[in-house]
Amino acid sequence: MIFEVFRQETETDYHTHVGNVHAPDAEMARMFAQVAHARRKPANSLWVVPKAEISEVDADDPGVAMGGTTQKEYRWATNYSTGRMAEEIEASEAEQAEAESRRRRPSAAGDDGGDD
Amino acid sequence: MATDETLPWDREYALGGPDELSEREQAAVEACLRALADDEFVLAERYTEWQVRGPTLESDLAVANIAQDELGHARLWYDLLEDFGYTESELIWERPLGDFRHATLVERPFERGDWADAIVRGFLYDEFEHLRLDALTETEYPRIADRVGKVQGEEHYHREHARNWLERLATGAVDGDPANGHRRVQEALDRLFPHALTLFAPTVYEPDIVELGVRPTPLSELREAWLDAVVPELEALGFTVPVAPDAHPEAVDTLLPAERGRDGSHTDAWPDLYDELTFTYRQLDRREAPRLMADPDDADGDGGAPR
Repeated sequence: MIFEVFRQETETDYHTHVGNVHAPDAEMARMFAQVAHARRKPANSLWVVPKAEISEVDADDPGVAMGGTTQKEYRWATNYSTGRMAEEIEASEAEQAEAESRRRRPSAAGDDGGDD
Repeated sequence: MATDETLPWDREYALGGPDELSEREQAAVEACLRALADDEFVLAERYTEWQVRGPTLESDLAVANIAQDELGHARLWYDLLEDFGYTESELIWERPLGDFRHATLVERPFERGDWADAIVRGFLYDEFEHLRLDALTETEYPRIADRVGKVQGEEHYHREHARNWLERLATGAVDGDPANGHRRVQEALDRLFPHALTLFAPTVYEPDIVELGVRPTPLSELREAWLDAVVPELEALGFTVPVAPDAHPEAVDTLLPAERGRDGSHTDAWPDLYDELTFTYRQLDRREAPRLMADPDDADGDGGAPR
């Protein structure tokens, strides 16, 4: 059986597909996955999934039109963060951040702070 | 953090550092360390024979990984022998054959292509290693106490690996022919069980090792605990073991092979393996072993470079 392996580096990361292992059952697969996919890379967690259990929708499948076939760009969130308005908002945000840091500076004098 | 467990650095020790030991104390510590280091080193050498020859790529990687773990453990223990002034060459590469103190179980050659042999060996050894390390958590020698936990951290995988495979070979869950897997395990068991008993063969230093608290639990007790764990488990899987878990110690002793390993006597497999593992050192006309990694005492957290 083939098991697909997804590795999560730290608690705050998503599990990312890193490869697979061949194993007779789930228990052996979990054991092999630790060595095959977490030995040389940091790992906080591994998902070990039987390949057959993974359902797939392929863009080429008949009848599938992911996102539709007609013009629906208005659905794309990215369309709302471009153009003149977005630039103005960005500039305004930068100004506010600048003002904020200037307000803080006098009281923070002498404080080394973090370097992160 | 509140914990009931006593950490190695919070304890009082009856024995001092390497420079503070009496002659008798040092001899006992050395004897204990030599058995530890040589077992791990020679077993690792054997395991590496499976590299690129395991039944599948995954099992290959797993056994090679275990071999690397065991080499790492050997390094930790040899390093404690270096405290007494020995060099790595003296401890391994130029050491006379008969000075090695590993049990005969770890030097036996694998039956050609027999994966069950590797699994049975791992099972018998790792159950022993688990008990020995447990006993060493109570050592009175601080240098050993510092390192036991690190080694224990990797042994869990080894035991799980051996046990998972053993169960599957016993029931034929791997290759679909139950009779085949079962027969091979039984044959390996018949061959290896007497050699596994040499893991518990005492050296002349055994009374001192126990009395001075280098390893407060005697080997005879470890053997009882081992038989208690190993025999019922093998029997539950349908295997025949040549001895009952509660057999009289003298009855168990009769199964021991002529060579005991721990006293420097070894089976005919050892000279060949020794030749092989020292071959490159001799061929390159070395006088000392090159250092690739930081000394374990200087390495951070988990022991230096990634594997």
